[in-house]
Amino acid sequence: MVVHGLWIINKAGGLVFQRNYAEGLSSLTANEYLVLAGTLHGVHAITSKLSPTGKGSGVQVIEGEDFKLNIMLTLTGTKFVLITSLPHPNPESTLQKVYEAYSDAVMKNPFYTLEMPINVNGFDERIRTIVASTVG
Amino acid sequence: MFNLQSNSASSSRYSLPASAPSPPPNANQTKRSSSYLSTGFTNLSISGIGSSSSNNDLASPAGRGGEMNILDRPINKSRGVEVGLPAWAFLFSEIVSYSQTRVDSVADLEKRLSTLGRESGIRIISLHLLRAAQTSNNKDPKKEYRLIPALQFIHTQVYRYCFGKAADGLEKSVEGDDEYMLTLNNPPLTQHISIPKDLSQLSCEAFSAGIVEGVLEGLDMPARVTAHTVPTDQFPRRTVVLIKLDRSVLDREEGLGK
Repeated sequence: MVVHGLWIINKAGGLVFQRNYAEGLSSLTANEYLVLAGTLHGVHAITSKLSPTGKGSGVQVIEGEDFKLNIMLTLTGTKFVLITSLPHPNPESTLQKVYEAYSDAVMKNPFYTLEMPINVNGFDERIRTIVASTVG
Repeated sequence: MFNLQSNSASSSRYSLPASAPSPPPNANQTKRSSSYLSTGFTNLSISGIGSSSSNNDLASPAGRGGEMNILDRPINKSRGVEVGLPAWAFLFSEIVSYSQTRVDSVADLEKRLSTLGRESGIRIISLHLLRAAQTSNNKDPKKEYRLIPALQFIHTQVYRYCFGKAADGLEKSVEGDDEYMLTLNNPPLTQHISIPKDLSQLSCEAFSAGIVEGVLEGLDMPARVTAHTVPTDQFPRRTVVLIKLDRSVLDREEGLGK
């Protein structure tokens, strides 16, 4: 099980954080990542209206042949997307930890501007620790 | 009150989940644009900012579910009334960004933070002396007047009161006999703050330095106190608070003798 990468998409659909943590996925250009994140944002918005029971949460997992995208939507509209290998047992709990790190290191940091790209050392460090601890 | 407790169950009603992104219990009521509120501030939503709470809630002692108003609390009670660290972190973050819009340089920003800390320090020493006097039934209230005991008092009691633990080191500088250093390996007040590269000189612990300055001033030992980040491999956020004492303090110390 591997965590390939993490994206954070702000509530307007902009990609504010993108890091790769393992080899295996071909990397895209910065522009392609932005387009992909914007597309995912749109797809998520549509799928959240698709639920037969009314208000749904939108797409949560997209599986490919040898990777999956795990999407977590927060109450504030920020989306965390974790790209893992298929056998990863518990991407939800990893996403939860990522959200915690985000609330601590990003939201409580006075030098971060809301909705802007995240360049916070403390956050990078914590994510690396989380990713390293889930690789077994 | 700057007594912080890191997300423990005992910090009763001001405690906020460290970062628990759990949804607020009354999500539709507290839904608002600020993204801070919906991530961390679960308990705070009941205090006055909730749309349904009336103005009386804050004024009456029995407001907020029968708990006591902050002004009616006994002044001697210090257990269980700690402020949650996440609440502090958000507040301090706003203090720093507010101050940042009103200064031109890193030195000015540190000075602003230090001034705020000094205001707190002066109040902390007053409160401490009052509590000490009350617990000893107004008999023999103790106020340090010698330099070393005063510094030790700050090292243990003041730091424990402010940061939940005593400082990790108190040293005398080798450079001058008027300089002392207080070390904190992992300062809790600024633990979530990452300094960007273009401000690398900045240490937000200037606030803590201000507290120390205020306490020293309350003990009638004027000093210039500054904070410096001195990282080690084990503690990348290790902070040294440098105390440069006023000449008058050393002269008095000499006069008092051994």
